[in-house]
Amino acid sequence: MATAILEQFINGTMMGSIYVLMALGMVLIYGVMHVLNFAHGVLFMVGGYIAHLFFFNLSGSYPVAILCSMVTLALIGMVLERLVFRSLRDNLRMQIVASLGLILIVQNGVVQLWGPHALQMRPASVDSLVRVGQLSFTVQHFVIIGVVVAAVTTLYLFLRYTRLGTAMRATSQHPEAAVVVGIDPNRVYTITFMIACALAGLGGALLGPLFLIFPQMGDAPMLKALSAIIIGGMGSVPGAIVGGLGIGILESMSTLVIPTDYRDTVVFGVLILMLLVRPWGIFGVRVRGEN
Amino acid sequence: MKATIVALVLLVAGALAPVIFAGQPYALYVLTLALCYAIPAIGLNLLYGYTGLVSLGHMGFAGVGAYTTAVLMKDVGLPFVPSLLAGAAAAGFVGLVVGIPCLRLRSHFFIVVTLAVGMILFTLFNNLDGLTGGAEGLPGIPRPQGFAIGPLEVEFRSLTGFYLLAFTVTTLIFAFQYVLVRSDFGRSLSSVRQDETLAAARGVNVFGHKLMAFVLSAAIAGVGGAMKVLFLRAAAPLSFELQESINLVLMLILGGAGYLIGPIIGAVIFVGLPEFLRIASEMRLIFFGFVLLLLARFAPRGVCGLAEAAYKKRFDREEAVGIAHS
Amino acid sequence: MRRLALTLAFTAAVCAQSAYAQEDTVSIGIVTAQTGPLAAPGKFQMNGFNLAVEVINGQGGFEVNGKTYKLDLKVYDTRCNAAEGASAMQRLASVDQVPIVLGELCSPVAAAEAPIAQDTQVPLIITVPTAPNLTDEGNPYFFRINANNAQLNRALGAYVQATKAEPLAFIAWNNDAGRGGVNGMKALLPADFEIGYVGYFNVGEVDFSSHIANIRTSGAKAVMLLMDEEPGALAIRQIRDAGLDVQLIGTLAMGSNRFLERLNADYLNGMVQYNALPPNAPLERIKAFSDAYSAKFGEESHGFAAQSYDAVFAAVKAMQAAGSTTEGPKIRDALSALEFEGVIGPISFDDKGQASPPVYVTEWCEGGDRKVIFPPEFAAGCGAG
Repeated sequence: MATAILEQFINGTMMGSIYVLMALGMVLIYGVMHVLNFAHGVLFMVGGYIAHLFFFNLSGSYPVAILCSMVTLALIGMVLERLVFRSLRDNLRMQIVASLGLILIVQNGVVQLWGPHALQMRPASVDSLVRVGQLSFTVQHFVIIGVVVAAVTTLYLFLRYTRLGTAMRATSQHPEAAVVVGIDPNRVYTITFMIACALAGLGGALLGPLFLIFPQMGDAPMLKALSAIIIGGMGSVPGAIVGGLGIGILESMSTLVIPTDYRDTVVFGVLILMLLVRPWGIFGVRVRGEN
Repeated sequence: MKATIVALVLLVAGALAPVIFAGQPYALYVLTLALCYAIPAIGLNLLYGYTGLVSLGHMGFAGVGAYTTAVLMKDVGLPFVPSLLAGAAAAGFVGLVVGIPCLRLRSHFFIVVTLAVGMILFTLFNNLDGLTGGAEGLPGIPRPQGFAIGPLEVEFRSLTGFYLLAFTVTTLIFAFQYVLVRSDFGRSLSSVRQDETLAAARGVNVFGHKLMAFVLSAAIAGVGGAMKVLFLRAAAPLSFELQESINLVLMLILGGAGYLIGPIIGAVIFVGLPEFLRIASEMRLIFFGFVLLLLARFAPRGVCGLAEAAYKKRFDREEAVGIAHS
Repeated sequence: MRRLALTLAFTAAVCAQSAYAQEDTVSIGIVTAQTGPLAAPGKFQMNGFNLAVEVINGQGGFEVNGKTYKLDLKVYDTRCNAAEGASAMQRLASVDQVPIVLGELCSPVAAAEAPIAQDTQVPLIITVPTAPNLTDEGNPYFFRINANNAQLNRALGAYVQATKAEPLAFIAWNNDAGRGGVNGMKALLPADFEIGYVGYFNVGEVDFSSHIANIRTSGAKAVMLLMDEEPGALAIRQIRDAGLDVQLIGTLAMGSNRFLERLNADYLNGMVQYNALPPNAPLERIKAFSDAYSAKFGEESHGFAAQSYDAVFAAVKAMQAAGSTTEGPKIRDALSALEFEGVIGPISFDDKGQASPPVYVTEWCEGGDRKVIFPPEFAAGCGAG
């Protein structure tokens, strides 16, 4: 029994790392811009497709493909922020409508361009296996965990020690005060969005080869990431990490005790519970006047 | 005044639809389907348009109503009206259970809660094979029994017959919405939407109003769901999944949230347009996505909002002279 | 760019065709999923329809009452959505006025289409959905040419019991196909047969690690995979990479060379699956179809394609027997009485509209060939499956 629990724990951290990557992007966007970006899932998916495109049509080098994917997504993010989200800044409901519209455009656009069938991409890291006792993982599993750790660390250092990172934190805390001290909020918002989209692209480029690249690949992870940032605390980076890993592990472990067709229900149940009991999340800060 | 005229015109046109579309059963079919979506959209309008709460799981309530009515009519053999009322009551009850703990949440969180609730309801529809027929669906749902009024045979098995039933139900729900919105309750709802704190300061029981609106909107959605599965004569969990809930929000916004006829216009456009734009389905969805982006940016009040703005522009001078309007 | 060029070329071709359309053509209605998560199986369905049309038109068309007609398809994408399916059916009947409709992928959508078939008197022959209750509604205009879940499970059930593959675990799609398969299998196997872990996953999920861990813990001897090829390939790869030595049992999607290409012979060795069409079976009807299919599509044939192919022929033969290309009730009566030898076997619809094609069980051999192990009368060695 103990090995079963341990095994599920490890399985959960793998998928959880992907959720973390997606959640990081979403929490940045929400924390700095107060925008709930439902389209994050399709951006993640585009990251996978772009990586596939560069992998097969260019060097055949996986790291290069990942990099290209991140850059492309950052550029897409810049365009989206300028064209779509900038003008909807304080309008929560229209942001949601806009992001839903984006989902339709992007998801169906991908189907138009690449067809509805799944793509496969198998760089060397996916085909080589590593055995850990009874369990076996591909090198890609470790690559994912490693990259996510690196991304989280980089993000933390960036936010903490660079001017731009500090500017982002300042804007998220109090946009008007940030203007007073000379920060250009528009620039901050654009950069935030670009970083978030790059993270989404990274996630898609990492996950795609491990399984398959297909138009709906970001849908379920987006919902999990959304749950993660809420459980962790909207606007909190540590919250996104804990939330993402937590949900991944919860999903895996729940299969030990409940019928597997209710796996999603467990995650959403926990989400609802958290919202009822402590809506500002584990690491969130309770704001006075709001429940 | 003008809104009333528009509504009356639509009413008459709707009643005459079987005549207007006499040789085109497909057009009548699409219209019937649109009405089946218009009903839950009216429910959502009550919640979103008038109370200001976004629900991304509203088709879950429609599903509760749908399955309740379907099972009662198919397996238990109950007649139409009690089954429909039971469906509405069941949906309203689920709304109550969800609303009581969740309505005190702030808007972002409330939206996510409704999404989660919708997904949980979908899972229940899909997994509870014994109760709902599960993922394979529930085929063979009977149409309501016909009856005779004197020499007149009223039946609901034909397209025309069911259309008239759907039209009647939609009109009743619309009338209910009309009365509700015009009442003191409705005005209090508007005040809650505009500024909760101020409304509370003026003595409005904010939570009570929100809860009532939520329960009613859930019940209405339940009626809509029931009509839809009665129309299709089959129920499927995928008819009530997340994408359907999202579509409901989108059609309401398209038509114009906060307008009485907004949900109906939105439903007719949303359901009707793709049926007449049967080019590659990805292309029409992409087209629709762009429509939404434009809406969000330039016309957040939807078609009705645009119509009202255009009307105001044209008749600006008369407005200034102070002609009474409702 | 290529897609754009193709779309333009296609549009030009279609426009050119419509100019010729008025040399008597009969349009058959098709409902399928061309987009969405079920696009992959939908493609095989369309291939079968298209191949049949090509063969029939290539022979100069078909004759009804002394007049020759060419065949043409009116295709609607229903995306596994009941409302879309019903609308498509209504449109096909009222606007396009087709004499017959074929196809559909998802059981609940077929359930919504069936009543419209009856109302508009346009027969509907489904070629893939397997929910048994579809044919229980007593709808005279509803036919199913493929084996339903009960029939499929009988074949696999016999194998499972014969080889004492218990405890038996499942990994299944959490939709009509997967859940229906699990329920059907459970109902079929005797009460004392040990059913182990049942792992459901949503369409689109790709990580089976938690299921695999539980299967290992439960000590299952065999795992039944109720899903299509894309997740199937992933599941098998993950199961084998995890070192699980279980007997793999799969669906018909997992019995073709295309599936082999997604993995390799080592992964698949010993796996069995039910099959509507073992592509290399030494039966003339199957060989001819397989050859034609690979000639046109460059890959091995697929059971869904064969089922759909036969449905087109059933439609044509019914129209011929009825002596009409427009009268629904006559075509329906003809279908009801129809008997012919299709690619998938002898086709004849019972009084519920259900055909009973043979269901095979094939097994992958060491070198990447397949053999047929059930039914015994069709058993064939490696290379002939």
